[in-house]
Amino acid sequence: MLQCVFLLSDSGEVMVEKQMTAHRVDRAICGWFWEYVLAHAAGDPSKVLQVVVSPTHYLFRVYRSGVTFLACTQVEMPPLMAIEFLSRVADVLTDYLGDINEDTIKDNFVIVYQILDEMMDNGFPLTTEPNILKELVAQPNMVSKMLNVMTGKSSTIGSKLPDATASFVPWRTTIVKDASNEVYVNIVEELDACVNREGVLVKCEACGEIEVNSSLPGLPELTLSFANPTIINDVRFHPCVRFRPWESNQILSFVPPDGQFKLMSYRVKKLKTTPIYVKPQLSSDSGNCRVHVMVGIRNDPGKPIDSIIVQFQLPPLIASADLTANHGTVDILADQTCVWTIGHIPKDKAPSLSGNLRLEEGLAHLHAFPIFQVKFRIMGAALSGLQIDKLDVKNTPSAPYKGFRAQTQAGRYEVRS
Amino acid sequence: VAAQSLEVKKLVYLYLLHYAETRQNEALLSINIFQKDLSDINPLVRAWALRTMAGIRLHVVAPLVLVAVKKCARDPSPYVRKCAAYALCKLYDLLPEENTTLEEIVDVLLGDSSFGVVGAAAVAFKSVCPNCLALIAKHFQRLCETLPDIEEWYQITLIEILLRYVIAKHGLVKDSVMFASGLSLETQAGRDSVPVSNISSTQAETIVKGGSGTMPNIMLFRHYIEEYSGAFDRDEDKFSFPSVTSSTNDDVVILLKCTSPLLWSQNSAVILAAASVHWIMAPAEEVKRIVGPILFTLRSSPDATYVMLGNILVFAKTAPLLFSSYFEDFFICASDPYQTRALKLEILTTIATESSIPAILEEFQDYIKDPNRRFVADTVAAIALCALKLPSITSSCLEGLLALVLYELSITNSVHLNEEDAVLVQAILSIKEIVKIDAASHEKVIIRLVRCLDTIMEPAARSLIIWIFGEYSSTGNLIPKIAPVVLKYLAWSFAAEVLETKLQILNASVKVCIISPNFSFLTLKWRLLIGLFFQVIIHSAEDQLEEFKRTVAYVIQLAACDMNYDVRDRARFLSGLLPCCANENDSSCRSQNVDVIKELADHIFGGKIPPPSNSDSNYRIYLPGSLSQVVLHAAPGYAPLPKPQSMILIHKTVEPTRGVADSSEGTNSDAESGSSRDESGSVYDSESEAGSDSNDEGHNLHRQKENQEAPLIHMYDGNVDQAYAGRAVDENLASLISTDLTELMSKSALESWLDEAPAAPLVPVQTSCARVSFTTRSFERKPKLHRLLDPSDSGGLSVLYAFSSEVSVKSRLLVCVDLFVENVTTEQLADITIKSEEASGSKSGMDQTSEGSASIPTLVPVEEIQSLAPEQRAKMLLQVHFHHHLLPLKLSVFCNGKRHPAKLHPDIAYFVRPLPMDLNAFLCKENQLRGMFEYARRCTFKDHLQKHEQTEESTDDNTDKNLLVAQTLASKVLSNANVHLVSMDMPVTFSIDDASGLCWRFSSEILSTSNPCLITIVADGHTSEPLDLTVKVNSEDTAFGLNLLNRIVAIIE
Repeated sequence: MLQCVFLLSDSGEVMVEKQMTAHRVDRAICGWFWEYVLAHAAGDPSKVLQVVVSPTHYLFRVYRSGVTFLACTQVEMPPLMAIEFLSRVADVLTDYLGDINEDTIKDNFVIVYQILDEMMDNGFPLTTEPNILKELVAQPNMVSKMLNVMTGKSSTIGSKLPDATASFVPWRTTIVKDASNEVYVNIVEELDACVNREGVLVKCEACGEIEVNSSLPGLPELTLSFANPTIINDVRFHPCVRFRPWESNQILSFVPPDGQFKLMSYRVKKLKTTPIYVKPQLSSDSGNCRVHVMVGIRNDPGKPIDSIIVQFQLPPLIASADLTANHGTVDILADQTCVWTIGHIPKDKAPSLSGNLRLEEGLAHLHAFPIFQVKFRIMGAALSGLQIDKLDVKNTPSAPYKGFRAQTQAGRYEVRS
Repeated sequence: VAAQSLEVKKLVYLYLLHYAETRQNEALLSINIFQKDLSDINPLVRAWALRTMAGIRLHVVAPLVLVAVKKCARDPSPYVRKCAAYALCKLYDLLPEENTTLEEIVDVLLGDSSFGVVGAAAVAFKSVCPNCLALIAKHFQRLCETLPDIEEWYQITLIEILLRYVIAKHGLVKDSVMFASGLSLETQAGRDSVPVSNISSTQAETIVKGGSGTMPNIMLFRHYIEEYSGAFDRDEDKFSFPSVTSSTNDDVVILLKCTSPLLWSQNSAVILAAASVHWIMAPAEEVKRIVGPILFTLRSSPDATYVMLGNILVFAKTAPLLFSSYFEDFFICASDPYQTRALKLEILTTIATESSIPAILEEFQDYIKDPNRRFVADTVAAIALCALKLPSITSSCLEGLLALVLYELSITNSVHLNEEDAVLVQAILSIKEIVKIDAASHEKVIIRLVRCLDTIMEPAARSLIIWIFGEYSSTGNLIPKIAPVVLKYLAWSFAAEVLETKLQILNASVKVCIISPNFSFLTLKWRLLIGLFFQVIIHSAEDQLEEFKRTVAYVIQLAACDMNYDVRDRARFLSGLLPCCANENDSSCRSQNVDVIKELADHIFGGKIPPPSNSDSNYRIYLPGSLSQVVLHAAPGYAPLPKPQSMILIHKTVEPTRGVADSSEGTNSDAESGSSRDESGSVYDSESEAGSDSNDEGHNLHRQKENQEAPLIHMYDGNVDQAYAGRAVDENLASLISTDLTELMSKSALESWLDEAPAAPLVPVQTSCARVSFTTRSFERKPKLHRLLDPSDSGGLSVLYAFSSEVSVKSRLLVCVDLFVENVTTEQLADITIKSEEASGSKSGMDQTSEGSASIPTLVPVEEIQSLAPEQRAKMLLQVHFHHHLLPLKLSVFCNGKRHPAKLHPDIAYFVRPLPMDLNAFLCKENQLRGMFEYARRCTFKDHLQKHEQTEESTDDNTDKNLLVAQTLASKVLSNANVHLVSMDMPVTFSIDDASGLCWRFSSEILSTSNPCLITIVADGHTSEPLDLTVKVNSEDTAFGLNLLNRIVAIIE
């Protein structure tokens, strides 16, 4: 049971404090936490452990774009529950406020406080379904702001208990008004790969998500089937997915929530190739290290590969770095990260980065080698090869418009040198 | 609150919730409106009103809330019913005595038709009555079926409840991993007490034992289930197997079936909860279905990674084969933080098998070039572990490590980095570990290492290599040949070495001598050699040997003149050892001494290094998915699984026995789970009915002292082998005698007690905990003296004061203070008296604040001291009434007619008086004061460390360190607070050093209100280190309780 939730800013300032139970938690715990962060992670709260034991409380933390969500408890509880809850709070707030940062949270303090109040009662999650929350606590938008100013009264609180609280499909508002009668299915995949120092592909797998944006009237019944479901290794589903049809026929049958949501995530393991190759070569002697990185297309997916970025951390003990590329731009950031932005791979030449690293005095050879992280994006193709067979929609007054898209981007794509 | 606007209403509710405790009056004013709102037509308003009303937590309101909850539990709106379930948890904190009513409501809500309400009811169940598993029985099937449909948060709670229910009802599943882990041990121990001739159970066993016994003696269920946790560590003891059920039991099947789809949940907490049900209950061959989902969470919910890996580590250690084919998932990404990397490395080494090791090693080779040097060092250590585990790769690992050493050398010598050395040292350490197994076959490696000595600068690395050289100087064919040369080299460089290395050189050189093949011959000559003050007279047949001896002599001589006394000491010791009685030329005693010395030296240097103590044995495992598993200690409120098949007992056990059983149970956790009560309740039942059942039953040794009230030691609880119990008792007795406790007893009583003791405990008794009860008299009280009046300000009158534990005869509100008046001048002081400044002043104000006590003066008038001669001292007893305030009391000390102002600082620890009670009463009382009446804090205790030093000097080996600690703390508390020591519980653990579980209980009552105030202190840790203490105060007066808690902690620290 969580006793208190704090939202901390980038500098450790307490922005929101919501006591959940009668056993009040003193704010001083945040001060303690921040000292801990400074001591163990040089002020970066995303680097400390998710579960921290303080002298008085157990702390759980989730970090999202500059805001630390901190929860305290003194008694035994599933730690993952706390962490998942905090992530859910972060997601809901992102949904409400567009994006979360110090300013938006401070500007919408009342709303944040109300949301926290609705989401948790007596230290246990109460209402976490985004669409119910949206009826309980209205979203801030221009119109409501205007109204507030004009009429002098605000109405961020829903006056009526949402029907969905009683429904068997709590994620869906029973009456969806002004639905445009369309549904979009979007496959977003991330390619994780690991190439070792010999250039061998150690691991290559695709982690995908199926995002659905539904805008359907009534209580529609959707059925989604894949052409090749057997390639999927692991799955996780949105609560709306019924387990039984998947168990028996590998079919997704569900009543969708309104709007955008993540229907399922999956993983396809043991892929054979990657779309592009990155070949780094580092050789060092007598205080100099020559760097040469080549990038090219290995396995054309049929669609254009864009937004290619190769970045790596300069090894320690480098006195100076002089790196140039024949295509794209090379930047060295303050934290010693070298970012090589390539974009498209041109037809006529293979992009390459070359240059020289000057090692510090007295050091002849490089001993710690950087790991190159690769980013790219391919629109219109799912590299795992997963294909949607068909999407059936039942229970709607008229046949809706259905749209499908696919996209692949690099996830944890690492090339060691 | 009466506002019509919903928004205003809501915000006022929020305001009330936040400030109710500080502004009770406002909160009380709004109660009427809540009552009205509870019958509002808008369900949202009803729900808000209920939530707020239950949330303001005023005792006055609690009965009203109870009525409201009862009403709302039947509300037409499911949302309101859900809020009613939440209100139950809040109400339970306020009105724990109403639990039967609350349980009824929980029961009603569990039977609700709406999923949301059932889930919330599960939450209420968990906080109101987590042990009334019988309540679940009639709902069980339906609860299982609704499991996939309810909200994710409730799933987590409900899964846990259902798991506990099934275990309590049916016991463990016979062919589950958990059971098999116990079984494999049982068979190893050469017993088959349980004839399990089930094929599947042997399968399970193979899964568990597959990884060549990484953690063979972890008996999971001993960790998970409370009943057996006490017996942990003692493998041989007779162990009755928990009642088992087959995997075809209907309830088990349905639970497993309904939890398996939850493995696909989007919530990682649900996945882990479902996985742990399978882990504990599922037949071994089905457990593997949890592997995929929990590994997928590592990628798909990054925030959960750390917690998940911690749990996977435990799974993997118990059943490495489960994960062995998924090793790729544990490969390390650049973005992983250090802790994640460390966990992944550990898992990788655990699950490595012959088939996967080439890939894993290749990965490790990549990691070695990582910029994070600490991680590199960890990797090097992991390589050694793998090599030890899988002999086939030993040689290639060694080659690789050697190459790494050479490579690191080239770097460290050129540039010096902080963490750089760590890698090098770790690499050599790893080599040492590997070589240890079979030194002879790796002698070339050793030689190559020794050759590196020339270039290695790092002292830690140097001394490691020298150690290896010394240790294995006689093994193989080549090393002995090069030994003298190396020694010579070492001798040559000796003067330049750092301390650590010097010591190692000394050791190594002596080792070389001792282990040398013609040892006896050598020592003989050595003796003469030294005897003639290192002048070489006798020429050995072998030139080499001669040279050899000279080198050693040179080293020792050098060392004897070293700057560092440690080196000098070591050198003297060694030289004494080697040439033995050098000055004695008497040949008769020579031969004798040679033998003795040889044996001695062999013992010191040639002795086998004891295998590193298995750290796993101290490694506690908690239920998967629990907070305790992540933080690796039992968090408050952690409850292990109930005893298998204990459900039936619950029905048998009649209510009244609980109280008795309760008090006899030595559990120290504040959330003492009911199952333990029930359990011991049953024990008592059977004892009274059937006499003794040697295995499961507690055995009380009530040894009454002749003259006195309480028994001194209770021994109880099961599962320790007999011999141990005897020893433990003896130890305790010895320690009792050796300490000042003896004065407690008349000599004859002690003797009769002693006579009796050895006989009594050696009946089939098993002990895991001893309770020592003392009367408070046995402790010296050293009250702290405070200065009331400084002689320099008062014309030479020094007044010190100390709070006394006496109870005032005049009124119970008065605190007694001892005043020590001393005349430090050379003249006579006369007419010393003390008056309160306030006594005359604000009498009326005082009346207001505490009407009942108005008749009692702030300061009982004290008789004045007529005169005080120089250097004379006098003692006065002051009886003060502090009005329950912590403000200092202003006093005037009159002396020689002059007035000196003084301040008397009250001590909250003396606002209480001892409340004598026995343990039963204490535990009953404590049970009533749960929840918000309970405050706990942690602190550390160091005082006993000094005491240890003292006792060690006095070389009293018999002193039980635990007892010492217990006494130190008790006397410290007693001398600083006016409390009564109810009991001291001492764990009788395998390691004498382990003080975990040591528990003190003090009772007292508040002077002004006569409310009882209970203090419990539980220790954790080792007696040789600062102890972690958890101090807990239970008191109805919460503000006072909190203050007292802080004071106690201050006293202890």
